[in-house]
Amino acid sequence: MHHDFLDRYSRLDTPLHRAAAGVKLVGALAIVGLTVAAPLAAVAYFVAVLIGLLAAARWARIPWRYLGWRLLWLEPFVLGVAFLTLFQPGGHRVFAGIMIKSTLCLLTMVLLANTTPFADLLRVLRQLRVPALLVTTLALLYRYLFVLVDEAERMHRARVCRTFDRRRAAVWRNLGTVIGQLFVRSTERAERIYAAMLARGWK
Amino acid sequence: MTTAIEVRNLSYRYPDGREALRDVSFTVAEGECVGLIGPNGAGKSTLLLHLNGILPDGPAPVRIFGETGLAARRRAVGLLFQDPDDQLFCPTILEDVAFGPDQLGLGREVVREALAQVGLTGFESRSPHHLSHGEKRRVCLAGVLACRPRVLALDEPTSDLDPRGRRELKSFLRELPVTKLIATHDLEMVVELCGRTILLDRGQIIRDGPTLELLNDEELMMAHGLERPHILRHWHPH
Amino acid sequence: MHIPDGFLDLKTAVGAGVVAATGVGLALQQVRRQLPPRKVPLLGLAAAFIFAAQMLNFPVAGGTSGHLIGAVLAAVLLGPAAAVVVMTAVLVVQCFLFQDGGVSALGANIFNMAVLAPVIGCGIYRLARPVGRIAAAAFAGWCSTVVAAISCAGQLALSGTVAWGVAFPAMTGVHMLIGIGEGLITALVLAAVWKARPELLNQPAAPAGGLAVAGLVVALGLALFVAPFACSWPDGLEKVAEHLGFDAKAAKTPLLASPIPDYELPGIGSPVVATALAGVLGTVVVFGLSLLLARSLAANKES
Repeated sequence: MHHDFLDRYSRLDTPLHRAAAGVKLVGALAIVGLTVAAPLAAVAYFVAVLIGLLAAARWARIPWRYLGWRLLWLEPFVLGVAFLTLFQPGGHRVFAGIMIKSTLCLLTMVLLANTTPFADLLRVLRQLRVPALLVTTLALLYRYLFVLVDEAERMHRARVCRTFDRRRAAVWRNLGTVIGQLFVRSTERAERIYAAMLARGWK
Repeated sequence: MTTAIEVRNLSYRYPDGREALRDVSFTVAEGECVGLIGPNGAGKSTLLLHLNGILPDGPAPVRIFGETGLAARRRAVGLLFQDPDDQLFCPTILEDVAFGPDQLGLGREVVREALAQVGLTGFESRSPHHLSHGEKRRVCLAGVLACRPRVLALDEPTSDLDPRGRRELKSFLRELPVTKLIATHDLEMVVELCGRTILLDRGQIIRDGPTLELLNDEELMMAHGLERPHILRHWHPH
Repeated sequence: MHIPDGFLDLKTAVGAGVVAATGVGLALQQVRRQLPPRKVPLLGLAAAFIFAAQMLNFPVAGGTSGHLIGAVLAAVLLGPAAAVVVMTAVLVVQCFLFQDGGVSALGANIFNMAVLAPVIGCGIYRLARPVGRIAAAAFAGWCSTVVAAISCAGQLALSGTVAWGVAFPAMTGVHMLIGIGEGLITALVLAAVWKARPELLNQPAAPAGGLAVAGLVVALGLALFVAPFACSWPDGLEKVAEHLGFDAKAAKTPLLASPIPDYELPGIGSPVVATALAGVLGTVVVFGLSLLLARSLAANKES
């Protein structure tokens, strides 16, 4: 599976990339927090943030086309829920406010993901004394997510090759079996990983 | 000559009751390179997992350089797993290779050295899922070497490698002075690297002897799901 | 159901974050106490598994496809506490790597899908288990989706983003449908695991204390987000009616399509009760469907 579209630019070498992960994380959270709290009338603020983010993107050599493409991909989900806001007095203002705020926040988070490798974010979490169990789970999740997705795709493809029943029920049953198998294989892989951890001295 | 590995009367049953190893006994001297061959399901991988105590000992404990303690054995044995994805479990290459050394308090210099040894300097911040199969193998090797083991136990190290990958790994292993026990189907590698070979089938040691003698015995090889490697068909011992 | 940034105001986001952190903290404590060390990698792998399972498309109709959330699946396979940790990890990665769900809404999303869904789903599963594992899991899967949706609606309303009178029926209605897919997929997957490795389904029952505390956290959160609006619901509906330009009382076709054609059932005049009844009816119907599904899957297993 091609997954590098998520953080394709996270390993470039620009001043912004070289900045400490903790600083970038705090900065992103601050921008999101302020944007969420800002009243709709603070137009100047929103414009300033937009310009700032676009400038940061340019500085980090992340193509605007990529940002636009990511936003285009993510906006439909936002629109779906935002649509509901229209059904109330003054809904149009709320809708506009939401669209502006969520777009700015999305832009911020896409920038964060593309200037900070996930492993660095994990390191920051560890420094912030986030419980080790959660951080280890996050690390393993990140590491094995695409391994499992590839495995599921291969299994599904192999099953489809020998499925001659085109009905939806058959597709659902196939997917259910593939996911079930994926879980069984994941537990077995977890055992092997545990052995590998032990073999290198983990306690 | 110091005994690096000593296994005596080792038997093991899988949790579901199947017999995996039956009364296995052998020794490996320091610096020796021993090949462990046998058909699929013979118990080669299971045997390797006993060396550093991941699987429990039988009536007589496994001794690595005379030590029976788990901590000492784990320190001394570097185990390379068959599937690099099982062994490469950290988000970045650097963290993964440093996993062992960090716990042993060895510092980051050994990590850099290990990466240089396998030719992967500069890969420190890469993520494992961006690497090719051969590169992942090399990272696993680096992670094991960084712990400075005295014994290297390898499980199918050349499987899924392209010919160049195999050549590089073979020449790398040839240069490495540590004691080696290599479980493999790559019989040509066994001929090239291992002076001695152990043939395992259905959990039992069938034969333990000089590689050429063992691998040239066509009847024996065929009887145990293997074959005489082509490289030996024109071999002239000198 | 991932709430993006900008939909929740700061007070709701922070409040949800506090409740979520408490729930996750409790779950982590319980997992640390109960999980043998050899199972630690399993948490990470299970999280990757849930994530991967969520990415698979289940074709619904036309171009639409359904997706699994997996809270009940995780709870049945790993136990409720571990499921909370696993689902939290999934949501965190989704937020930071995929930008699915806003970071300011992370607390709310975690509460809805990583605390509420698995805990309530697990509770319902355990209650319904005597009826049959697969049926109980299917029903619990549906319930978990609906409950998460209700909480989500509450959070949106509390922030003043969407009126409760709109959010509640919209979110609940849609997710009653989506929940069917969730229950179905949960049942299919569990049946497959049951066939391959039945021992993976046997969960040692957690000591009552753990689940009770979790239940308390959950109940508190629900009270926070849902209760304030229970009373103002009829007003909200009327406001919507005004806004859309017609009077609900005079309408020939009710605003909410319901199998009960007329709100004015003998003895039941209030639209609140009528819709509540429809909700109960819907729940019972889904429960019945779950039983049928389990029966058909069992029949398949034998054949």
